[in-house]
Amino acid sequence: MADLIPFTYRQGQSLLHLVDVRCKFFIICLVSMSMVSAHLFPCFFYFIILLFFFKKAGLNIFASLNGIKYFILLLFFIFIARALTIKGDIVFSFYSMSVTREGLNEGFLVAFKFFLVMVTGLLFSSTTKPSSVKSAVQWFLKPIPFVPEKRVAVMVSLSLGFMPLILKQAGQISDAQKARCGDLQKNPVKRIIRLVLPLLKKTFLSADSLVLAMEARCYSDDRTDPEFEPSGKEIYFLSAGFIISLSLACL
Amino acid sequence: MPEKIIEIKSICHTFSDGFIGIKDISLSINKGEFIILAGKNGSGKSTLLRHLNGLLLPDSGHIFVNKLDVSKHLVQTRKNVGMVFQDADTQIVGDTVFDEVAFGLENLKVKRTQINEKVTRVLEDLNLFHLKERNPSTLSGGEKRKLSIAGILVMNPQVIAFDEPFSNLDYPGTRQALSTIIDLNQSGHTIIIATHDVETIICEATRIIIMENGSVKKDGTPDTMVKYLESFGVREPCSSKFGLGLMPWPT
Repeated sequence: MADLIPFTYRQGQSLLHLVDVRCKFFIICLVSMSMVSAHLFPCFFYFIILLFFFKKAGLNIFASLNGIKYFILLLFFIFIARALTIKGDIVFSFYSMSVTREGLNEGFLVAFKFFLVMVTGLLFSSTTKPSSVKSAVQWFLKPIPFVPEKRVAVMVSLSLGFMPLILKQAGQISDAQKARCGDLQKNPVKRIIRLVLPLLKKTFLSADSLVLAMEARCYSDDRTDPEFEPSGKEIYFLSAGFIISLSLACL
Repeated sequence: MPEKIIEIKSICHTFSDGFIGIKDISLSINKGEFIILAGKNGSGKSTLLRHLNGLLLPDSGHIFVNKLDVSKHLVQTRKNVGMVFQDADTQIVGDTVFDEVAFGLENLKVKRTQINEKVTRVLEDLNLFHLKERNPSTLSGGEKRKLSIAGILVMNPQVIAFDEPFSNLDYPGTRQALSTIIDLNQSGHTIIIATHDVETIICEATRIIIMENGSVKKDGTPDTMVKYLESFGVREPCSSKFGLGLMPWPT
């Protein structure tokens, strides 16, 4: 059995699980855009709302954050870079580099905003079936001319669906290399090359098998249209989403 | 007189690298038969199976399924001949058990209400209904194999072709898959199984076709074929070797 990765859908009956995926998509876009001009206090307020939804959705926030630990490390680098590059009141300096108060504030705010966007995505993907994401992508792309919306939607769905398999294969390759003392190689570039090449080969072979399996089941672009199941709570969800977005943008 | 469901007339297939996959094969398959395609690796079993489903087309010769030429009626052929591949992981398209089974029907543009009805029925028949919201990657090997069968069965095929259906399965998984295959045959489906290990299914089969180097070398009932198996690189069942005749596997 494969382990579930942080962005995998988890079964549930919470509001986020039940609400129409198109509303979720729309509100995510709106909130993410509002976040650009948001200040620290509304961001904290939004973080508390996210924690509430995590709890309601039955997700373990710490386990989920553990799954994005490398992203959090990246945010730390962004924070450091901002702290060192923005000019202002110097808090302390060493050699030719100075850390400024404005830099610390700005760095924390930018990293925190990125973190909130990531956690929002995490919450969205954990409570939304990839097939619903596929349906929503198809629905949003339909009015755009010259875009094969059904094909794009299947590609999105397959990419999401294949992620656990690719990670499982990466784990198997890594274990096989460790079993032959591959971890004694300290050069990270060589280690990555040794992992990536066989992984790419395996992924392409798996993709080939998938194509055959899809063809065997009469795959074509002209398929039954997706079905949306509104829960009746969409109006409340949209209203709340608008208020949160406005608060983020204006407060 | 038994009714022919598949008729193969002098087909040949050479791959783009010059490797000869199929060499002048002619045979016919009757409705309700349980056929084992036996042979060592590279003997052409999988290539022949893929021709039956129209995934590969012959360079010369013809295949008729229900008197329809496969090369001219691909969709009809794929509806009539379902194909279950060796690696269940790489043929799973849906992100829940329900969506995975619905995939084939969506490709055939069946109405959503009918899809829901048919998928529910098949999941209940195969005792998978309680798993309908589960992510397929979290199922056990035996459950995944059953799921692959459900994905085919929902399209209501007359023939089901299996490529090494027991590979990578543990003992309970093998028994589960075997029991499902026997039930399918008893409910009137024609079964064709490509395998290099016949022990599990030889007692259920009505006919064994032995292949080598892309051609059919022997064709007959299990009783008459069993002594030829080892000369074509296929292990003879233990019970037969010890003079106990052919004994069925527990299901």
